[in-house]
Amino acid sequence: MMQIIAKRLSLLAFVLFGVTLMTFFMSHVIPGDPARMMVGQRADEETLQEVRRQLGLDQPVWVQYITYVKGLLTADFGTSIRTQQPVMNDLVTFFPATMELAITAFLMAIVIGIPIGILSAVKKDTFWDHGGRMFSIAGVSTPVFWSGLVGILVFYKLLGWFPSSGRLDLSVAAPEQITGFYLLDSLLTGNWSAFTNSLWHLILPAMTLSFAQLAIVTRQVRASMLEVLGQEYIRTALANGIKGPLLLVRYALRNALIPTITVVGLSFGSLLGGAVVTETIFGWPGMGKYVVDSIAYLDFPAIMGFTFIISVGYVVINLLVDLTYYLLNPQIRE
Amino acid sequence: MRRLLHLPLSLILVLALALSACSSTSQPQTENKPAEQNEQTQAPEQSASTPSDTLVVAISSDQGTLDPAVSMDNSAWKITYPAYQRLVEYDGASTEVKPGLAKEWKVSPDGLEWTFTLNEGFKFADGTPVTADAVKFTFDRTLAIKKGPYDVYSVIQEVKVNSPTSVTFVLSKNFPPFLSTLAANYGGIVNPKVKEKEQNGDLGQNFLASNTMGSGPYQLEEWKKGQYFKLTPNPHHPAKPALKTVYFKIISDPTAQRLQLEQGEVDIAEGIPVEQLGAFENSPNIEVLQNPSLFVDYVYVNTSKGNEALKDKRVRQALSYAIDYDALTEAVQQGYATQMRGPIPKGLWGHDESAFQYSYDVEKAKSLLAEAGVSNLELDLLYSDNKPWWETEALTLQAFFAEIGVKLNLNKVAYATSREMMDTGDFDLSLGVWSPDFADPFMFMNYWFDSNNFGLSGNRAFYKNDQVDQLIRQAATINDQAERTKLYQQAQQIVIEEAPYLYLYQKDSLLPVSKQVKGYVYNPMLEGIYNLADMSK
Repeated sequence: MMQIIAKRLSLLAFVLFGVTLMTFFMSHVIPGDPARMMVGQRADEETLQEVRRQLGLDQPVWVQYITYVKGLLTADFGTSIRTQQPVMNDLVTFFPATMELAITAFLMAIVIGIPIGILSAVKKDTFWDHGGRMFSIAGVSTPVFWSGLVGILVFYKLLGWFPSSGRLDLSVAAPEQITGFYLLDSLLTGNWSAFTNSLWHLILPAMTLSFAQLAIVTRQVRASMLEVLGQEYIRTALANGIKGPLLLVRYALRNALIPTITVVGLSFGSLLGGAVVTETIFGWPGMGKYVVDSIAYLDFPAIMGFTFIISVGYVVINLLVDLTYYLLNPQIRE
Repeated sequence: MRRLLHLPLSLILVLALALSACSSTSQPQTENKPAEQNEQTQAPEQSASTPSDTLVVAISSDQGTLDPAVSMDNSAWKITYPAYQRLVEYDGASTEVKPGLAKEWKVSPDGLEWTFTLNEGFKFADGTPVTADAVKFTFDRTLAIKKGPYDVYSVIQEVKVNSPTSVTFVLSKNFPPFLSTLAANYGGIVNPKVKEKEQNGDLGQNFLASNTMGSGPYQLEEWKKGQYFKLTPNPHHPAKPALKTVYFKIISDPTAQRLQLEQGEVDIAEGIPVEQLGAFENSPNIEVLQNPSLFVDYVYVNTSKGNEALKDKRVRQALSYAIDYDALTEAVQQGYATQMRGPIPKGLWGHDESAFQYSYDVEKAKSLLAEAGVSNLELDLLYSDNKPWWETEALTLQAFFAEIGVKLNLNKVAYATSREMMDTGDFDLSLGVWSPDFADPFMFMNYWFDSNNFGLSGNRAFYKNDQVDQLIRQAATINDQAERTKLYQQAQQIVIEEAPYLYLYQKDSLLPVSKQVKGYVYNPMLEGIYNLADMSK
C-alpha cells in the first residue's frame, strides 16, 4: 500500500511538471497583453513598457517560465496581475470553497445514489426501478444552470427554505480559517451559528451539483448490482439461507461497488467543472468566477496557480479512489 | 483486513446518518421548535428587508486592486471613491467641480502652476490630519509607481509644499483638463502612513490593493473575497452618514440579483441586464432610475490599416447612412439610448446640438458606394464578449450593411485578444465603448482623433487629418473654455463629415433601486459610484 502511494506521488511530480509547462506556454501563445489590460485603455507607450518591465513580460518566455517554476518550488505562485496580490492568498481564499461544495455534492451523490441504485436493481422492472431511472435520467440530462435556477425559484422564492446565494449571511461572521471549509472550521472552533448558517447555505448548491452526479452513481450501482446478483455465489448464498440486507450489502454491494468507484472517481473532474457553473448561479465564492475573471484579464499567474492546484486536487482524489478500490478488491491486494 | 473492508461502507452509512440528521434538523426545527429556531428561521426574515442603516448593493464581480495609484478599472472605484477625498469633487449631478479637500485654488496665467489651499479639519480614518505633505506624497507616489494613472499625471513636473495648507503643482505644459483629473478616482489623497505598510519597496501597493487609507466619509472595513465589501463610516470625518454599514455583495448571476432585489435582501442591483428591467415596471417596491450617461457605444472604422475601401470617406459615410439608429437602439438597448451627435456626448460641455447627424438612408448609402466605385465590399467586424449586447449589435449591423450590399463578417474573439488587435490595427471595423474619466471634451477629441494616439490609447480608427490635429492640439493648450469650445466644434464638423467612426449611441444609465433608498444622485462622471454619505433609507 505504501508502495502504491509512493509511486503515485512520484507520478504526481511528472503530471504537475507537464501541467505547468502546458499552461504556461499555452497562456503565453494566446494573443493579448496583460500589461495592456493593467494600464487601462488610454496609457501611452512609455507607461506600457514600464509595466511590462515590472511584470517581467519583457523577458523571453523561457526565462519567464524558469522564474515561475523556481517560485513554485518555494510555494510562491507569483503576484496576480489583476488583484495585485500574491496568488497564494487568492488560492487560500477560493479553493477551499470550491472543494467544500464539490466534496459535499460528491458525498450527497454517493449517499443518495447508492440506495437508489440498489433499490432499482432489487426491484428491477417495477415502479421503483422505473421511477429511480427516470430520476437519474432527469439528473444527467438537466444542465446545472437550469436545475440551479429552478432550485432557487422553488426553495428560495416560493418556499423560503434556503438562501439563494453566498456561503453565510452578511450578519454572520466567518469561522476562523483552519481548513477553509466553513463546516469543518466552525465545528472545530465550536462556532454553532456559523455551522448551521453555512450548512443552510450549502445545501441548495450542493444538491444542485449532486443531481447530475447522482445519475452516474445510480446507474452504475444498478448495472453492477444486477450483474452481481445474477452470479452463482449469490445463488449459493441464497441457498444457504442468507437473505435480506445482509446479502445485499455484505455480499452483493461490496462487489458491485468496485466498478462504481472507478466511474465515480473519474467523474470527480467533471464535478469540479460543474462546480464552476453552480458557483456562478449561487454566488458561491469559489474559484470558478475568479478563474473566469482572470482569464478575461489574461492574468497568467492566477490562471496557472489554479490550474496547478486543481491538478493536485484531481490527482489526490484519484489516488484516494484507487486506495479505496484497493481496499475493496482483494485481487489487487494480492 | 476484513475490518478494514468495512471502513468505506461504514463511512458511507455514518455520513448518510449525519446528513439525514442535518436535513431533519434544518426543516422541522423551523416549525416544531420555536425555542431553538433562531438561526434557522430568523435569517430569512432578517434578510428579507435589510436594516434601515444598512445598504446592500448587489455587484456582479469581485474587484481588482483598490490602490488609487494603480486602479484604472472604474468598477473598483465604487469601493474606493467614498473612502478617499480629492482636492476637488464633482458637484452633485454636474460635471463641474467644487471644493473638496481644497477650499480654493488659483492657476498661473500660463497654466503651468496650480496652487491649492486646503481646508483644515479633515482627517484620515486613523485620525492623522490631511496636510499639504499628504497631497505631495500622493502624487509623488503615483508618479513613482508608474502604472495606469501615471499616464494622466505625467504632465506634473513637481509638487511643492508651501505650507501645511498650501500646495503647488508645477506642470511641464499647459493642460486645461488638469483640474478635472483631480476629481477622478486617481486623485484620491492617500495617508502617507501607508509607508509603514511597504513591502519590498512596493510603496504600499500590496496593502492598498485590498485596504483603503483615505479621508473620505467611509472606510473599507472588510473585504471577504468573492462575497462582499463592507464599508463603515470614517470616525474622523465631519459628515455623519445615515448609512452605518454599506455592503457591496457579489452576486454574479443576474437572475439571483433580481430575486434578491424583489425579496428586499438587496437594495440596489447593478447587474440586471436591460431586457429584464421591464419586470420592475409595476413593482410597488422597486423603481428603475434612468439617467443619460456619457457612456458611448461606437464603431471604429480602420481608416489606414483596414480594408482599402475604408480609406475613402464616401464608403465610411455610406456605412453611417446604412444604419437605422432608432431600430438599433431599440434592438440593443430596448430604446434606453440616444443617437450620438458627433463624438462629444450630450451632457458634456463642447457638445454641439446643431452638429450634423447621420440618418437612415439606404439610397444615399448605395449611391455613395457607387460614387466611390466600390462593389461587393466585404468587411470584418471585430468584437468580444466584453459587453453583453455586442452580439446583438453585431448581428443588427450585419443586417443593415447587407441592405446596401456590404457583407459583414463577424469576428468575435476573447476580450484580451480583441484589445491586442485594436492596438495593432488588425481589423476593418470594431465595436467599442468609451466613457470619460474627467469632464473635458479632451477626453473624446484629443484621444480619438490625434494622430499621435494611434491604437488602443485612443485613435482606434487610425485616423489622420492635419487640420484636425492642429485644431485639437491648439484646444488642449489654452484655458479659455469658450475659445476651446469653438476649436473643438470646428474639429467636430470635420470628423463627423469624414466619419472615421460610426457614431452610434449614448447609453442611458439604468439602475433598479428599492424605493426605500433616498438621496441617491447620479453623476455621469461617476458612473457606478454612489454618494453614500448623502444617502439614507
